[in-house]
Amino acid sequence: MILLASVSLSLPARAAEPQTIAFLMWKPNQPQVWERLIERFHQTHPNIRVQVQIGPHSSTEFHAIVTQRLRNKDTSVDVFLMDVIWPAEFASAGWAMDLTSRFSKKKQKAFLPATIAANTYHGRIYGVPYYLDAGLFYYRKDLLQKYEFDPPKSWHDMLAQGKAILKGEADPTLHIYSAQFKQYEGLVCDMLEFIWSHGGRIIDQDTRKVLVAEPASIQAVTFVRDQIIGKAAPRGAVNYEEPESLELFIQGKAVFHRNWPYAWTVANDPEKSKVAGSVGVGALPAFAGHGPAAALGGWQFGISRWSKHVKEAWVFVEFMTSFDSQKILAIEAGLAPTRVAVYNDPTVQDKKSHLKDFLPAFKRARPRPVSPLYPMISQELQRFFSRAISDSQTDVQALAEATSAKIERVVQMEAAIRR
Amino acid sequence: MIPKDRKLYFALLAPTLLVLLVFIAAPITQSIIFSFHRIIVGLPQLQSPFIGFDNYQELLHDSVARHSFWVTLLFVSTTTFSELLVGLLLALLIHHRFPGRGSLRACVLIPWAIPTVVSAQMWRFLFNDAYGMINYAIFGHGVAHYVPWLAKPNTALFAIILADIWKTSSFAALLILAGLQIIPEELYQAAKVDGAGVWRRFWHVTWPLIRPAVLVALLFRTIDAFRVFDLAFVMTQGGPADATNVLQLYGYKKMFVEGWMGYGSAISVSVFVIVLVLAVVYVRMVGRRLLEASL
Repeated sequence: MILLASVSLSLPARAAEPQTIAFLMWKPNQPQVWERLIERFHQTHPNIRVQVQIGPHSSTEFHAIVTQRLRNKDTSVDVFLMDVIWPAEFASAGWAMDLTSRFSKKKQKAFLPATIAANTYHGRIYGVPYYLDAGLFYYRKDLLQKYEFDPPKSWHDMLAQGKAILKGEADPTLHIYSAQFKQYEGLVCDMLEFIWSHGGRIIDQDTRKVLVAEPASIQAVTFVRDQIIGKAAPRGAVNYEEPESLELFIQGKAVFHRNWPYAWTVANDPEKSKVAGSVGVGALPAFAGHGPAAALGGWQFGISRWSKHVKEAWVFVEFMTSFDSQKILAIEAGLAPTRVAVYNDPTVQDKKSHLKDFLPAFKRARPRPVSPLYPMISQELQRFFSRAISDSQTDVQALAEATSAKIERVVQMEAAIRR
Repeated sequence: MIPKDRKLYFALLAPTLLVLLVFIAAPITQSIIFSFHRIIVGLPQLQSPFIGFDNYQELLHDSVARHSFWVTLLFVSTTTFSELLVGLLLALLIHHRFPGRGSLRACVLIPWAIPTVVSAQMWRFLFNDAYGMINYAIFGHGVAHYVPWLAKPNTALFAIILADIWKTSSFAALLILAGLQIIPEELYQAAKVDGAGVWRRFWHVTWPLIRPAVLVALLFRTIDAFRVFDLAFVMTQGGPADATNVLQLYGYKKMFVEGWMGYGSAISVSVFVIVLVLAVVYVRMVGRRLLEASL
């Protein structure tokens, strides 16, 4: 009754009824933060109502739901969330609206460069970055101090420090490094970080040349096979995803660890972690003469091409990705902002002091190959990496060339469509 | 048959036929149709052109598919053989009369009753290299000897085979037990009177009479093993180095991960054809044996 009364009261004052836009998102971990943000939006924009539709939490399943609705030209979705590897696909398929005129180059400058690159396809932008994930390097502050080491800058330093620490600790269950090497998407992220930090690349974004079989890439892969698997990292890491590799680290069984930002909270939770309080974090090491790299993850807002309320949808997206909203998201949900300025905000620095330690790594973050057929490229890469690191007898060069040819084919399929 | 009976006949059959049509015939037809088209989810501009047997042609030259086929075949042959053997032993055991037989029979069925995804998750923990029970049971505190079961191509496939044997042997046992129970006690008594020992009684009385049941178990297990998916999906995702990339998992990845619907369908249809051929061969074989046995 009260609701009805308030609606009828506001009607004469405003000529138009409030526009309703539909926002398709996944089930959030902290629903109260999202509710608060949308509540704020309703207060500041009384003529737009946001109707939230909740999809599955898993990225793959959410992808299935979003693509199905967009493929059917469903006008009941205006705004949706996109995983970092989707914009190219959504752009090429014509599902995501080209936002170049609204999201100007000047506005883009406020965001971390990798997050903009991930949303750009052939020079046009299709999404607005919301929060990001990137590969981070965790280390045991206490052990490094004990042996008087600085956090390693290069992979070889990491091995040398690790060997000295292992020798000193004389614990057969302690390992130098723990990361994700199972044959799945995470393997691509971890291996790309080795390849990038050695000057290698998978695809040249401009010429679309495939560079998997170039020496820079092959040497990085061979390094992982010969120096990391079964040496610095336990051989079992070949079947590790994030949870298993993190478990090793928080049980105090690894000196160095590669993981996403979420691991920070877990590693410092005294109820779950034996190393809480003695964890340091920063950018991953690199090979001598090269800079560090981090694989980019995270989520963006997109607007449907079939939306009938583009203007209102854009107002909502701008609000959600604004400085103030990202600040709330950082403080209350602990998610890493895509706007650089949020990291320098005093309240954020005060409440989430570790975020500024993440920033150097975030600045070095890079998107995985941007392609509408990325899933196919990823499957080939997973196969290549897993074969190369599982067996010390593999001919990495031959394997890389075969993989290169297969990815070449995918790139050509993609090019044929654009012609 | 008089017309009235016929009507009733069809009315009674209709629900079953409808269910079969909607849930079996329709999806299979759909897959077959998909497999003759080029459908790529990421490239909707392609539409979905008819390409004849191109997907199948490509499948023949796909080295990953060929590798998956051999992995699947190895999985099917080892699991089926072991499950029948273990199942037979279990069946002989729980056929015996002894105190607590009822509860043992129930226990034997537990692995089969647990959903595969759950038991696969359990086996994944058991086989974990650092804190898995299997390493602890074999090597105790000798951490240096711990084997990373799921991280080596050979042992990873072995782990999945073992998990399958654990899970489905009881199913084979159940079928064979049914066969054991129809053997009249008098036959054994007569054999005893004739002076046959345990071994001879097994080979000359038990085995010939349970053979049809064993064949039925063989049929079910082979067909089911060819469709293995969940164990590999949960325990290894097909890795390491594609060592556990069974055909159905490969098809799933092509379809739902890569979005290559046509090609993925061609893989599933191929598995369907293999299973169909096997089923026809078996049913003819088993059917004849069953007839002989009942005569």
